[in-house]
Amino acid sequence: MRPSARNTRNRDTRSAALGIGALAILGGAAILMQRRTQPKPRPKPRRKLRRSAAIMGASMLVDSAMEHFRGGFHNKAMLAAPVLAAASTLGATARAPHMLPVHATSVAVGAAGLGFHGYNIAKRPGGFNWDNLFYAAPIGAPGGLAVTGLLALASDAHTARHGRMLAGFTALATLAETAEVALLHFRGAWHNPAMYLPVTIPPIAAALLLEQALHPNPKTRGAARGAQRLMAAMGVVGTGFHIYGVSRQMGGWHNWRQNAFDGPPVSAPSSFIALALSGKAALDLMEGAP
Amino acid sequence: MSHAHRPRAIDGQAPDVFSRDDTVPMRQFADTDEVDFAIVGTGCGGGVLAAKLAEAGFSVVAFDAGAFWRPLSDFASDEREQEKLYWLDPRISDGADPLEFGSNNSGRSVGGSSVHFQMVALRFRPEWFAARSRLGYAIDWPVDWREMWRYYDEVERACAISGPLTYPWGPDRGRYPYRAHEVNAAGQVLARGAEALGVDWAPTPLATVSAPRGKSPPCVYRGMCKIGCSTNAKQSVLVTYIPRALDAGAEIRDLAMVTRIATDRQGRATGVEYHRDGQSRFQKARNVVCAGYSIETPRLLLNSANARQPTGLANSSDTVGRYLMVHLNDAIWSVMDDEIRWYKGPPSMACCEHWNYIDDHPDKDFDGGYAFMSQGPLPTDYARTLVTNSGVFGHELRRKMALYNRMAGLKMVGETMPCADNRVTLAEETDAFGVPRAHVTYAHDDNDRRMRRHARAFMAQMLEAAGGRDLLETSSTAHLMGGCRMGADPETSVTDSDGRTWDVPNLWVCDGSLMPTGGGVNPSMTIMANAARIADRIKTLCASGTSERAHG
Ligand SMILES: Cc1cc2nc3c(=O)[nH]c(=O)nc-3n(C[C@H](O)[C@H](O)[C@H](O)COP(=O)(O)OP(=O)(O)OC[C@H]3O[C@@H](n4cnc5c(N)ncnc54)[C@H](O)[C@@H]3O)c2cc1C
Ligand code: SF4
Repeated sequence: MRPSARNTRNRDTRSAALGIGALAILGGAAILMQRRTQPKPRPKPRRKLRRSAAIMGASMLVDSAMEHFRGGFHNKAMLAAPVLAAASTLGATARAPHMLPVHATSVAVGAAGLGFHGYNIAKRPGGFNWDNLFYAAPIGAPGGLAVTGLLALASDAHTARHGRMLAGFTALATLAETAEVALLHFRGAWHNPAMYLPVTIPPIAAALLLEQALHPNPKTRGAARGAQRLMAAMGVVGTGFHIYGVSRQMGGWHNWRQNAFDGPPVSAPSSFIALALSGKAALDLMEGAP
Repeated sequence: MSHAHRPRAIDGQAPDVFSRDDTVPMRQFADTDEVDFAIVGTGCGGGVLAAKLAEAGFSVVAFDAGAFWRPLSDFASDEREQEKLYWLDPRISDGADPLEFGSNNSGRSVGGSSVHFQMVALRFRPEWFAARSRLGYAIDWPVDWREMWRYYDEVERACAISGPLTYPWGPDRGRYPYRAHEVNAAGQVLARGAEALGVDWAPTPLATVSAPRGKSPPCVYRGMCKIGCSTNAKQSVLVTYIPRALDAGAEIRDLAMVTRIATDRQGRATGVEYHRDGQSRFQKARNVVCAGYSIETPRLLLNSANARQPTGLANSSDTVGRYLMVHLNDAIWSVMDDEIRWYKGPPSMACCEHWNYIDDHPDKDFDGGYAFMSQGPLPTDYARTLVTNSGVFGHELRRKMALYNRMAGLKMVGETMPCADNRVTLAEETDAFGVPRAHVTYAHDDNDRRMRRHARAFMAQMLEAAGGRDLLETSSTAHLMGGCRMGADPETSVTDSDGRTWDVPNLWVCDGSLMPTGGGVNPSMTIMANAARIADRIKTLCASGTSERAHG
């Protein structure tokens, strides 16, 4: 074929096709494994929830540390987010006792952070307009810290009723996360078709989970579980896409000191893995696993 | 860094603008091949036309006096070095208000002035296309605004303009292909001022991408735009339409200065005389298109006079070179309490078109309109502004430059009136190729002066409302429009609405010189949209066999 002088004609379809292929393999394998491993004892919901909180917390830690570092920590309160994310993550992984106050503080600070970020948006010229939603403090991000805290606290859950509550909560958190992704991928002009995946799969996963929360139904639980697995696989593939995205900035990974900040956040997609784990824990609880 | 002294688009290869040193295949024509179109100039007009005509299957050779750059390896973050992008050949400038030429209005590169333009991508106000009949000044364009509006859509998509989701002025313009960039601190000064005065403002639609686009990475906000973007985030004609033209089989001849359009006894154009790599050559062509911008296009037509057309080609109406326009480019600068660092990001990230869309206001004592934008001049540029306008020097200049990071500014793009005596003629003196230099005569009129006064007062008020102090006013002009205007009347215009000259049926103009009025916005998108429209008109005319119009 004659080499072309022009810029790539269309959206980045090649990488999108690769990514979607990877997702099909990974997601397919995850769903198939679910069938096969059915008789084997699953990890306890408690372990899943701890892992979920740890992954969400780690993602929050990296994201808030980097973004607030970029903001020069010009407000001392900006230190709170990474510090608490670190504490909650450690607490969840190390199964440390007496962590309730720490996790609760994470929840409270996360909630307060929503107010801070809202204020940051509102005070800019133009207030709550698209441009400020795109570029001022990300409106939903602090919610991730609150979710981390709540997931860590939820690891004591053990009844089917708890399972339903957790399913409902996880579904709502997934939808909130989807909204944030939609905003940021819209900002990126959907320049890669794969950017539509994280606004397509998670809402389906959330809907199936919500259905279980409202009307527990063992017949459709398999589908709900499969959707969670697919969403987790998407978190893995999405991380790959974000790594690739950084390479598409000027200078690519050679210039990581700038591009890791300016490119797509590499740690962000893993939050979907965390939510998927929590969703699965919820379904386990509903099935009566202690 | 390199200066390209020798042509690079040779031996069937042209520079790959997305690489540091690669090439891409290029179709080539012999001088003796009678190509369908010889296009002189590859900027906003010529570049767009070359791509679209080649894509339509015509054989096209496009000439440019400038070099064929590879931005990734040729562009330095150095204002002096980058002067290589400007047309700095001397021009004789006189009149009551002699114009300055060079970095403020003329480029010389494959891709034309768009290689170093500041990427502000605005549309004309619809009423301006009928300025005389709807607003009562100047002259109407021979084109309906709705048609132009469709072509704005087309070129904005081709250049992946990053713009706001809602634009406060004028009819709905759909969604820009890419989202607006984050407005920098310099732009937020404009925004705060506008909100304090209760007028609308907007993030400026810009021809640089806010997310990856194929081989173009997103903008890195280093603010070197005016001296050539070394990342290819900027969607200049060099990285958009020129590669398209190459793919479609057009030949681009860089460092090829066209000196004369040849004509036969019937007065039809037969091709172009040009200089390249030390040789004088002649390219045969069925059609010739002038796209060298408002000074060089008239100069070339005037220099191509023949026995039948002794006052210049296509000049029976004595309009070639006349009705040259500029934009008023006065600015107000102020010191801010906060650090602004206005060099960060593209220079004009926020804009205000308030006075472009107001007709009846007791304060408005002028015809036409003006927009203004936030500013971010590079250091040498700013120092030059200070020195030429206020004559500061030595210690005082140093003190003023020390405030560089705390400065903010607003600069107008103000419409001037088309005036027959503002014109390009040929000077006695000749250039290195023996072509008479351009002689440009320019004077502002009273309307210009009233508008300038109004804009200065309004911008000053806005800067103060945003917290600016120690205001400084400077004066200049930017952009060129007109010089070979199109029109509905062969007595008062050089070309018809298709850009075809009234006098010579196979001679066309397709660049900023066609503009009958200048409008109160930066001109590149209008020039590109008009070129895209003309390309489609040429296709239609050829398809219907009426490209041979019997007139003139
Ligand atoms: C510093 C600067 C900033 C600008 N910023 C903006 C902006 O932000 N927004 C905006 O809309 N506009 C901007 N402009 C204006 C815009 O760039 C021009 O209006 C536009 O490029 C003109 O298009 P054109 O095709 O008429 O001419 P050009 O783009 O100038 O192209 C003409 C080409 O013809 C070539 N040429 C001329 N004569 C000959 C000849 N005899 N033989 C061979 N080649 C020849 C020249 O070398 C040149 O490359 C800016 C201009 C400058 C100088
Ligand atoms: S600020 Fe953006 S458009 Fe301007 S030179 Fe830098 S990368 Fe290019």
